[in-house]
Amino acid sequence: MDRREFLKKALAAGSILAFGKGSDLITRVYGKTDTQKKVIVLGLDGLDPHLLSVWMERGKLPSFRRLRSQGVFKRLQTSNPPQSPVAWANFITGMDSGGHGLFDFLHRHPETYIPSSSSAETSEVGKTLSFGNYVFPLSGGKVNNLIKGKTFWQHLEDHNIPATVFKIPSNYPPVPTKLRTLSGMGTPDILGSPGIFNYFTTEPTEIKEDIGGGRIHEVYVVGNTTEAALPGPVNAFKKDRPESGIDFKVFIDPVHPVAKIVIQDHELILKQGEWSGWKRVHFRMIPTQSVSGICNFYLKEARPGFKLYVSPINIDPANPALPISTPESYSKELEKRFGPFYTQGLPADTKALEHGILDDGEFLEQDDIVLKERLEMYEYELARFDSGLLFYYLSSADQRQHMFWRHIDKQSPSHDPLAASKYENTIENIYRVADQMVDKALQKADKNTVLIVLSDHGFSPFRRSFNVNSWLKENGYIRLINEWKQGEEAFFLNTDWSKTKAYAFGLNSLYINQQGREGEGIVPPGPGKEALVREIAHKLENYVDPKTGERPVLRAFVAKDIYHGSYTDEAPEIILGYNLGYRVSWATPLGRIPKEIIVDNEEKWSGDHCIAPEVVPGILFMNRKISSDSPALHDLTPTILKIFGIEKPQEMTGMPII
Amino acid sequence: MGKAKIKLDKDLMDKVKKYAELSGYSSPEEFVIHCLEKEISQLDESDSEEEIKKKLKGLGYIS
Repeated sequence: MDRREFLKKALAAGSILAFGKGSDLITRVYGKTDTQKKVIVLGLDGLDPHLLSVWMERGKLPSFRRLRSQGVFKRLQTSNPPQSPVAWANFITGMDSGGHGLFDFLHRHPETYIPSSSSAETSEVGKTLSFGNYVFPLSGGKVNNLIKGKTFWQHLEDHNIPATVFKIPSNYPPVPTKLRTLSGMGTPDILGSPGIFNYFTTEPTEIKEDIGGGRIHEVYVVGNTTEAALPGPVNAFKKDRPESGIDFKVFIDPVHPVAKIVIQDHELILKQGEWSGWKRVHFRMIPTQSVSGICNFYLKEARPGFKLYVSPINIDPANPALPISTPESYSKELEKRFGPFYTQGLPADTKALEHGILDDGEFLEQDDIVLKERLEMYEYELARFDSGLLFYYLSSADQRQHMFWRHIDKQSPSHDPLAASKYENTIENIYRVADQMVDKALQKADKNTVLIVLSDHGFSPFRRSFNVNSWLKENGYIRLINEWKQGEEAFFLNTDWSKTKAYAFGLNSLYINQQGREGEGIVPPGPGKEALVREIAHKLENYVDPKTGERPVLRAFVAKDIYHGSYTDEAPEIILGYNLGYRVSWATPLGRIPKEIIVDNEEKWSGDHCIAPEVVPGILFMNRKISSDSPALHDLTPTILKIFGIEKPQEMTGMPII
Repeated sequence: MGKAKIKLDKDLMDKVKKYAELSGYSSPEEFVIHCLEKEISQLDESDSEEEIKKKLKGLGYIS
């Protein structure tokens, strides 16, 4: 299959949406109604042990302190690389990447060098029937979770133990189970993307043209009125697969900073600076079929310029177009009780903040909506938890640290003292919210309840960014087709594969351009390749940043030295473990090769964790003593099973710690 | 590979020479080829490739 055919197939598959599915109204948790032992797990993404220790010692996190006094607080060994989908997959399966097959946010198709999500894939609709301009699917497409191995809750289910697993990452679509699960990180918006917002403005020129994660629409206000269309998913029922859309009108008050938005059956009156709350919209595909989504409108400015932000259109939990929960009725049950809620995997709109569509304060308002929803559902799940296991996940600490680290790091190239004085407590405040969650869990936990509070990784400043492919080019491992075009093209389009030996991809991955595996591979497998891998790893570890005198790559891990399991052969050859203060550049993950090797990171995204695992361990608190001084994420999986009297499955590489 | 000649107005050719030199191209020909390739790639690039890029860029970790 050539590159063009491949792309067509990939996209056709990306637009699978379900229409008018039957409803499953069973909402009970399967399994025994009563277990003697109970387990509550709080998964707090990105909580850093250093920050937590400091604030705990200062008396700002009393519940964490209380929990430590009942058992332990340890640094938790994270995954390699310390990326959330990988780390949570370690916890989910009790294995490392060699066992569960997730090595990076992004994998690549070796035949074409084209990137794809590592955690889920969508297969194309099978047979179709054409009628006029319409195409009707006769056999459905399918979305598959790519994680390998068995999840801990499937083991619990085998032993008839009830469990609720809320928003755990790397579980989209949810793996088959009768237990209650809601998919988390990896769940797309209705377009099949991690999240694409829409921004309607009379001043589009103030924004960079090509912004990832958002679409900018120029609108014209004529006589206090403007019209636009909200783009929706591709209409796969039509032969030319046009984009669907919903027309809407806006009436701007001639005197006050207020606007009325009329879209389908909604009439929203928003003051400048006001959020609408969730609104349900329907994209019509054919007369009898539509796709339902939910979105939130924010009137940033009514006049003199008109600026309207619309959140990514989320999958409607009341009528999900893609699978987001087990049983299917679980998301409907939550929607019925709480109203629409963010179903998108990473809901904080970091892209809108990065590109100045939302400012710091507006971003926090948006993520506060996420947080409020999560905390309400947490109380609900905690209140009804009476047996088996409850896993509950929070993403806000991770996302806020990514975006607000610049306010606590005076060495950050994007540090602004004035803004810092206003937002320097943002990160501390979210740790305090986590502390309140711990307090509620402690109140709930009786003597038979094991309480585990963990994070998947810690955090580190991201000040300098490393163009790994530029380094490879400089050292003769990558050859360009046209030297003068260096830096212009992504997807390795300017790469002469016939003379390229290695390439970096995703956030921590480096692959050899291997003969017989890569589409245009030239390095034969065998001892020569192994020597090349060691040579590149050695050189990378010894490379020094001329500006700082530091080594950007603390450790270049050779995959076969660190992974166990039957998928180790699918790993990148080298996993790049960056030093504190460094990370892969913004250009590298999608194959752009700038001229500079290392540049300052001037983005608002100023904290990160996709570096050497020893620099960013996670946290582990338990209300029990443990037997290990250096517990790891994958040790917690057999530990949970052991609490319920289940023997460690052979494939798990982790060991129980109690 | 066959080669073809293209006629350019003198004024345009003078500008091509000037900007090729200013931009550091090794010859006016190299500059013209680059400009044409860039334009054509935009016209030629499939919608699907653009769409995949946009979708992946929605992930905060990459841009």
